[in-house]
Amino acid sequence: MIEAQNITKSFGDFQVLKKVNLFVKQGEVVVIIGPSGSGKSTFLRCLNYLEPIDDGSITVNGQTVGKRKLTSGQLVEVHKKNIYRLRSQIGMVFQQFNLFPHKTALENVMEGPITVSRISESEARERAEVLLDKVGLVDKAGTYPVHLSGGQKQRVAIARALAMQPRAMLFDEPTSALDPELVDGVLAVIKELALEGMTMVVVSHEMSFAREVADRVIFMDEGCIIEESTPQKIFSEPDHPRTTEFLSKIL
Amino acid sequence: MKFGPLDIGFQCNIFPVLLKGALMTLELTLLAIFFGTVIGLFIALAKISRVRILEFIGGIYTWVVRGIPLLVQLFLLYYGLAQVGIELSSFTAAVMGLSICGGAYIAEIFRAGIQSIDRGQKEAALSLGMSSGQAFRRVILPQAYRRLLPPMGNEFITLMKDSSLVSVISMTDLMRTGQLLNSSHFKPMEIYLPVAIIYLILTTIFIYLLGNIEKRLAIYDGD
Ligand SMILES: Nc1ncnc2c1ncn2[C@@H]1O[C@H](COP(=O)(O)OP(=O)(O)OP(=O)(O)O)[C@@H](O)[C@H]1O
Ligand SMILES: [Mg+2]
Repeated sequence: MIEAQNITKSFGDFQVLKKVNLFVKQGEVVVIIGPSGSGKSTFLRCLNYLEPIDDGSITVNGQTVGKRKLTSGQLVEVHKKNIYRLRSQIGMVFQQFNLFPHKTALENVMEGPITVSRISESEARERAEVLLDKVGLVDKAGTYPVHLSGGQKQRVAIARALAMQPRAMLFDEPTSALDPELVDGVLAVIKELALEGMTMVVVSHEMSFAREVADRVIFMDEGCIIEESTPQKIFSEPDHPRTTEFLSKIL
Repeated sequence: MKFGPLDIGFQCNIFPVLLKGALMTLELTLLAIFFGTVIGLFIALAKISRVRILEFIGGIYTWVVRGIPLLVQLFLLYYGLAQVGIELSSFTAAVMGLSICGGAYIAEIFRAGIQSIDRGQKEAALSLGMSSGQAFRRVILPQAYRRLLPPMGNEFITLMKDSSLVSVISMTDLMRTGQLLNSSHFKPMEIYLPVAIIYLILTTIFIYLLGNIEKRLAIYDGD
């Protein structure tokens, strides 16, 4: 469903991603772990072209995102419209929530469908109410983000992404900006999505969460995928010493 | 009728004339605010476009306009252009001069406001599938408004006061009305005191209206 091949990306002289490969099947949940600065966020952002890649190719649902390789080997930009459409099919949830502060919880969730999918306001409202209910926040529909807790904000952000009815979801450390007591509520929502068969790539260091929902855990360091396997294996007997070292620090 | 040294009767007589001048000042100011805001938005967009030629044009515009006194710009527009065959009415020249000048300052206000919005906002909008334009209109601009308003208010008031400079290109605004009255009656205190008070009233109304808008936009900030 998501196929990322040889993703290479530099900021100036600094190579953040070095030929990263990732294939995610329909319905699969992949959790990415790794030290700070290893390129996890950048990789996730490349997947929906928030960050243009230098080399490699990304295909979602058989459609190429961002850059397309011609037979001559030259990379050309895919038409913007295609990028917009593909982004609308991949939901993204950010560490800092990034809710729209000038809109209520409900309006945040309605925004994508109204502006991008151009559905009617009443239909968008209905869809948004269902989703707010799903994340347990119907009673906060009319509340502005400034009056929501971090956990509530993140759940609204998840509902906002789901409102586009995406085929896959990307989560970038969705709980690491939250107070500890608010983490579980957000993880519960993500777990439910996993049970429903949503295809997901989640950057997270919540080990018990990864154990429970991940089909595969990927350990990234210095722009490379060092190791990938089932959560059981990677957490109990990792192959690579760098994985061991990293896990010993965070567990 | 005299009040101390001031001739109140005279002041009552000139009041309707001054009011007409005040209306012209208001008209000029509102037009300059409108066109200045349009110009300012485009220049600001050019400056943040990351398109080198547009950034360059935007940079030149603010550099030139902010570096030359408005008075000199007005003389160039009205007398200078007339000499080379482009005769603008003093009204057109006045509106142009004020708009061009206001536009340069408003552009800087827009730019600062837009750039003060967290990058994550644009990314969130894009990740939903919005185009850059949609993200700008639906997400960035509405938030920027709120932060723009106080400095914009200052700029609008500055424009209102600077509009008195157009009196030098024979535009009969409030200031020039006063000057004309004075040249025939020689009663500067009786004339310029009401002129000053009318300016003060106009700027006060502006401040009041802008304050109201600010309050209405403040709801989502929780303060
Ligand atoms: N826009 C940018 N310009 C320059 N350097 C950047 C940019 N974004 C990220 N980097 C650098 O790229 C590297 C990888 O960043 P990235 O955010 O992908 O790491 P990460 O694995 O998500 O780390 P963390 O766990 O701290 O979120 C870092 O060294 C970072 O400083
Ligand atoms: Mg990160």
